[in-house]
Amino acid sequence: MNRSWYAPRRLLSYLLVAGIAVTALFPLAWMAMSGFKSQTEVLRSPFQFFPDVWRVENYRLILADPAFVRAMAITFAGAVIFTIASLVVNSTAAYAFARLEFAGKRLWWIVCITPMFIPAMAILLTSFVVVSKLGMLDTLAVLIVPGVASSAQMFFLRQFYLNMPAAVEEAALIDGATRWQIFLRIFVPQSLGPYVVVGIGSFLAYWNSYVWPVLVVSNPDLTQIMQYLATFRSSRGNDWGMLMAGSTLAALPTIVLVLIFQRYIVNGVRLAGLK
Amino acid sequence: MLDTSTQPAGQVTQVTGPSRRTRRRGPKVTDQVPRHLRAHLTAYLMIAPMVVLLGIFVIWPLVYAFYLSFFEMSFYKDAKFVGFDFYQYVLTDPDFYASLWVGLKLAVMVVPTVLVLALLLASFIATLSKRLAAFMKTTVYVPAVVSSVVAAIIFVFIYQDEGVANWFIGLFGHGPVAWLNTAATALPAVAIPAIWLGFGVSTLIMLAGILDIPESYFESARLDGANFWQRTRYITIPSLRNVILFLLVTGLTLTIQEFQLPLVMTNGGPVSATNTPNLYIFNSFRDGTPYATSYSLTAALLLFVVIGTISIIIFRVVSSEKSSDA
Repeated sequence: MNRSWYAPRRLLSYLLVAGIAVTALFPLAWMAMSGFKSQTEVLRSPFQFFPDVWRVENYRLILADPAFVRAMAITFAGAVIFTIASLVVNSTAAYAFARLEFAGKRLWWIVCITPMFIPAMAILLTSFVVVSKLGMLDTLAVLIVPGVASSAQMFFLRQFYLNMPAAVEEAALIDGATRWQIFLRIFVPQSLGPYVVVGIGSFLAYWNSYVWPVLVVSNPDLTQIMQYLATFRSSRGNDWGMLMAGSTLAALPTIVLVLIFQRYIVNGVRLAGLK
Repeated sequence: MLDTSTQPAGQVTQVTGPSRRTRRRGPKVTDQVPRHLRAHLTAYLMIAPMVVLLGIFVIWPLVYAFYLSFFEMSFYKDAKFVGFDFYQYVLTDPDFYASLWVGLKLAVMVVPTVLVLALLLASFIATLSKRLAAFMKTTVYVPAVVSSVVAAIIFVFIYQDEGVANWFIGLFGHGPVAWLNTAATALPAVAIPAIWLGFGVSTLIMLAGILDIPESYFESARLDGANFWQRTRYITIPSLRNVILFLLVTGLTLTIQEFQLPLVMTNGGPVSATNTPNLYIFNSFRDGTPYATSYSLTAALLLFVVIGTISIIIFRVVSSEKSSDA
């Protein structure tokens, strides 16, 4: 291939990559930068990306707000419990539907898969009635339990389990292993990749949720991080520097999570196989 | 039961049952249960948490919503059966249609933009070296994990009078625009963060589709002298038909239901310009107007039907197009 033609082409693609990356990440970078700016600088009109002086004042102030720290901590704890519970519930059901035969399997399958097609809004209001009748309002449980079972995640894990070779399982059965042993010792260790994919999905769903916490939690001790940010904006909306610092810190765990596990996520899209 | 005798899994358990039992220290309760039922028991234990949770928190609320939509609910009186009255109220309410229209306009702004952007980006990423491609995949995915509350806050900030958006149009000699407070600009201003949040996942899904197209198709097209646009038009798009259809339908249904962005950015205003159907339903429930509960429930159920119908129509249209192509 003609080199002189090829080289500028490669340069062009580097430029394109840089351009796209800058555009895609600009809003986040802008948010983080604004957190470092002073009150007068944060809305200054001649556009200036970097602060004149890097101030950590806004970050320090938001971290000094006990309500912010509590919201971050309780949301993080909730998200971790939620993620683990989701993995347990959805993957055991996925295993049963992929690998076991039992009476009424089709019926139970329909029960478990239909919710995938029910939009959240259609049941948001009656879910609220149900949890209030169960006396769950204003508890950590109401933030965690109702969302743990997820048809979409179960479906995703089942697809993966359907593709696992049958030979290993049959050998284990002949050796006298129970289904639970097979599941825990063979299937779970093999599912690390899919677990990372659905686990991150659960974590993000919990961490980013806003409407459900607003509806079911009024106790300030249980305020979730997105709830905190939205309240901060409506009550102290002019303090953009501090709000941007808080939003940056609130977005950080999800971004870090993605950077750590990016390899799995990108492969996960192919695992999910649309065909 | 009939199905146990025909299931290979049940037979395997029967064969291995005795050896399993000899390894146990003492008789267990489950040993008294017939072996073929024990296999069912394991399965039931495994699906039980899922079934119970979905039953209580998804299926029951849906059934309950459907049931309640036939009653007039109020804080002061007992619920009264009113049949299809609320369906009639919702279906004759201009505000409901206005909100549907807003949702549709938002979808028209967001979905095609995301699809084109994702197609171009994915085609581009497919040509990159492994390393650059990995970098790009992560880059485009990062905005997708940001919560819509954070996105809403960032963009409200960007749309401030002294914000970046006004600085940018100022370069072209335009005065500041009150993006979120002007009816004409508010919805496009909400669409932009929606596009920003949505394009990453679509790009990755399209990329997965493109990587599954045999490389030889592109090579022979290149030999025939087809340029990038021709290759996209005649190879990429037809091969990705199902992926594009999937993204189109999920994109449309999700965007029509968007409501956290307008809730945080504008709360539906100005003059309902960003009042998407779900936001309209959510606010009419929260406002606590008389009979708000029944009204909101019914509207939510009807929206579910509308969106389901749209998806079915799109699938029909596209599949008939496919058959006429052949």
